[in-house]
Amino acid sequence: MIRKILTLIILSSIVYPQDGIAIAKLVDERKVPQDIVSKTTMLLTNSKGKTRTSTILSKSMNNGSKQILWFLNPADDKGVAFLKIEHDDKADEMRMWLPAFKKVRRIASSKKGDSFMGSDLSYEDMTNRALDENTYKRLDDDTIDSKACFVLEVVPNAEIKSTYSKHITWIEKETLMAIREESYDLGGNLRKKKIFLFESLSGYNVISNIFVEDIQKNHSTKLTMGDIKVDSGLDESLFQEKNLKRLPRN
Amino acid sequence: MINTKFKKWAVRQSIHHPKRTLASALIITLIMGFGLQHFVIEDDMMKMIPKTVKTRVVWEEVKDEFGNTDPIFVAFGAEGQNLFQSTAMSDLWDFTKALEALPEVEKVRSLTNMNKMESEDGFLLIDDLVNKRDLSPEEIADIEAYLIKNAELKKQVIAQNDDFFNIVVIPSGNTNEQVSVAKIVATAEKLLSEYDLHFGGPSYLIGIVGNLVRADAISLIRIGLLMMVVILLASLRSFAGVLMILFVIILSLIGMMGSMGWIRGLTGSERFVFSIMNTSMPIILMTIANSDSVHFLTKFFKKLRITGDKAKAIEQSIDSLMLPIFLTSLTTAAAFLSLVFAPIEYMTGYGVSIAIGISWAWILSITLLPSLIMLKNWPLNSRAIRKPGLLEHIVNKLGSTIIKLPRSILIGGLLLVAIGIYGIKLVTTEVNMYSFFEKGNKIRDSLEFLDKKMLGSMNLVFLLNGDMKDPELLQQISRLQDYVEKNPSVSTTISIADVIKRMHRTVMDDDPDYEIVPDERAKVNNLYTMYSMSGDPEDFSTLVDYEYSKALVTAILKNVSTESSVLFVNDIEQFVDKNFTKYKDITATGQLVVLRDMVELVIKSSVISICVSIVVITFIAAIFFKHFGWGILAVIPLSAAVILNFGFMGILRIDLNHVTALLSSVIIGVGVDFAIHYISQYRRLARAEVPIKTRSHRVIDEVGYPIILDALSNMAFGALLFSEFVPLQHMGGLMVFAMFSTSFGTLTILASLLELTGRRKEVMNTLLGGTIK
Repeated sequence: MIRKILTLIILSSIVYPQDGIAIAKLVDERKVPQDIVSKTTMLLTNSKGKTRTSTILSKSMNNGSKQILWFLNPADDKGVAFLKIEHDDKADEMRMWLPAFKKVRRIASSKKGDSFMGSDLSYEDMTNRALDENTYKRLDDDTIDSKACFVLEVVPNAEIKSTYSKHITWIEKETLMAIREESYDLGGNLRKKKIFLFESLSGYNVISNIFVEDIQKNHSTKLTMGDIKVDSGLDESLFQEKNLKRLPRN
Repeated sequence: MINTKFKKWAVRQSIHHPKRTLASALIITLIMGFGLQHFVIEDDMMKMIPKTVKTRVVWEEVKDEFGNTDPIFVAFGAEGQNLFQSTAMSDLWDFTKALEALPEVEKVRSLTNMNKMESEDGFLLIDDLVNKRDLSPEEIADIEAYLIKNAELKKQVIAQNDDFFNIVVIPSGNTNEQVSVAKIVATAEKLLSEYDLHFGGPSYLIGIVGNLVRADAISLIRIGLLMMVVILLASLRSFAGVLMILFVIILSLIGMMGSMGWIRGLTGSERFVFSIMNTSMPIILMTIANSDSVHFLTKFFKKLRITGDKAKAIEQSIDSLMLPIFLTSLTTAAAFLSLVFAPIEYMTGYGVSIAIGISWAWILSITLLPSLIMLKNWPLNSRAIRKPGLLEHIVNKLGSTIIKLPRSILIGGLLLVAIGIYGIKLVTTEVNMYSFFEKGNKIRDSLEFLDKKMLGSMNLVFLLNGDMKDPELLQQISRLQDYVEKNPSVSTTISIADVIKRMHRTVMDDDPDYEIVPDERAKVNNLYTMYSMSGDPEDFSTLVDYEYSKALVTAILKNVSTESSVLFVNDIEQFVDKNFTKYKDITATGQLVVLRDMVELVIKSSVISICVSIVVITFIAAIFFKHFGWGILAVIPLSAAVILNFGFMGILRIDLNHVTALLSSVIIGVGVDFAIHYISQYRRLARAEVPIKTRSHRVIDEVGYPIILDALSNMAFGALLFSEFVPLQHMGGLMVFAMFSTSFGTLTILASLLELTGRRKEVMNTLLGGTIK
């Protein structure tokens, strides 16, 4: 009986959390895979409807804080590789392999708002949000595509010098996955709209599609993750400069 | 038949329903005037070029693909004061941020928002060159050192001796340039009040000229009306008469401007915008409307003097002037409508709108003016009616001279024409807006400053089609830049090849030997990809298209004369034809090429409008006077006046441009009236078998005075001398001259010709269709 009551209390606290930070914590503590491998197709569309498509083999671990990418397509880019390692206490490491020059170059981008690989996702969008770097306010719940959602207003703290003034995020109650987000620029104008789709894989909810539209630039990015593998046992040693030079078979 | 019916209708409306006619005229004018809400003032030389001309096609393509490429240059600083210090840098920071925040601005390029690309120990850095507002002396020194190392970048953002910053502002393509310029100038004046400020660039000129056109047109209308009042008062000696004429003129003006607005609003046509060249429109219509009214009023005074009955005098005036005023209005409108065939797009709007204004002025002259006359009591003992003025006496004297010396006058006229033909060969074309402002004018001073201290303010743009990852094409772009930069007017060129070369050097450990286009396609591609990983791909958006299949090369240059621009652009095109084999799809556009193209268009427009209007007027006169000979006689004084006008321009070194190119239509359109009035009266008297000995004298007696009075009141064209724009001043002066040449040409050359023809009875008999016994 006591166990039943306790379970009920825990469940009700999940379904009816008190405030924004509590929901954010739940999302943050959501079960995530150790590593993810995928073949991602990136479709960029500009304001005139012209497109660029690339296919990238991506391997990441620690919720994306370590990531290595190899360009598979277009043919011009084949072999170009990119390594990113996020650090809490110092600037992120970014290295790039330029096969035509046979050189690895370290890249620095101190600008959080810079585009990642020419897409509408910035480095800031790609980086995990630390709970203590933002304030969270719960807004009225909403329903998106028949899915009940929490709605959070996420305001970055001044000291992190975000390129956004706030985000409005729709989190599916059932899975605690973000399915929609609107990001506002420092002037308070809507800058980006993001839509996330996910699939269940080996007990995890893993993002399978991201659509980002930069309202101000009238530019969009569609990322489709294929051949997703989770917990495939990637080794930390993969995320080294020497591995950029050789395109893996899978 | 129609003529008689219409005459009767006009007489009925004026004499029996003057108040109704007045009310109807006001209501119709009001409806026309509502079109003013759609009225657009703009002066964009590119839009004057037909949409089918390659320069325009490519320009549209460039705009569509790369956005607006016509910048506004803002320079601020203080002579001799080094700006590499914290206050100036933070002022530049604030100004750049303020410009970026303006919705009318698409892009800003200044020292404080440019990127730096550096390589240190294999570490590639693409970052903001200036990353905060308040900088320490050490940070400023680092920025200065980077710019010294990258001299090409430095000269784009700061003057050679570091005392003026250069900011390149690209206005939003969706905003009217007048609004953008006003906002940018206001922002600069607010934030940079302690510095010397200078502005320039194609978009600046479009915006500022638009604002000036508005002010200029209003000021010219005021001056024109004032001049007209003075001239009319002096010659008509009737205050009420002058007020009536002014009323007709003002309603005609509202009708014309409103119609232009309606057409623009309903069709959206770019041809119906009000530009520099249109600034002369109100003055021209004023003089034409005035001309019809003056003829009517003087005829009325004459008839009233004879009959002593107001209604009878009105009826007789309408009867006598209905056909000539209709004919003069028709031929004048036809001369202006000939501009529809001119290749310069704005000329269509000019011609059609003024033709509508002329038609409205004609209707008002034969309906509203007689009604107004009818509504007023005219004391028969007033000086205006009682006796002829001094001018009438002078004209009468002229009449007797012509009769005595027709051959000598004809030969004298022909000699003047011969001088005119010689002068035409000396005519030069200058369409650069720079020359439209007098020395000492604020805008011209700013443009001169930008030429002297900064990069200049003109642009030349090349659109290249091809594979922008192919090293051969990038090398070709580089060679093109080198060739263009050899011209001393060119300050700098910008292209994707520059960025590729700089990235190549950076990747190769900042070795200056590698500041070249890489030799392999794969390397070029790696550089593009590398940039997308670290920099904002938007940085390339003004240099290369999304699919790497089109690129822009932009040259910034100092102001050059139209003649030099023609030589320069043609030379570059020859260079491209000769040297580039694999990628030949290179087209030049931008301000410099527009100047080259405008020369041809201006000349074509002049020739076409002269030919079409002369042919049309010949036919109209031939139809109405029922013999082709009359048509030819009608255009003889006009042709002489046109030749004299262009000859005069050549001798006095007055440039031909899209503003002065309108002169021929104006001269023909306005000048034809004199010939029509003269021929009309001559035919009437010849038919009435007035003896040849007194015929010319009587014609001059009847129409000589109104012609001279008409020409004198047309001296209101002289109002254009007070314009802000040099070509309009020239136009004013030339029109005053043209009024003399056409009126005296009519009263001398045409009168002499008719005097000589009239003496040959059989010829005159043929011309009159055998009505003389």
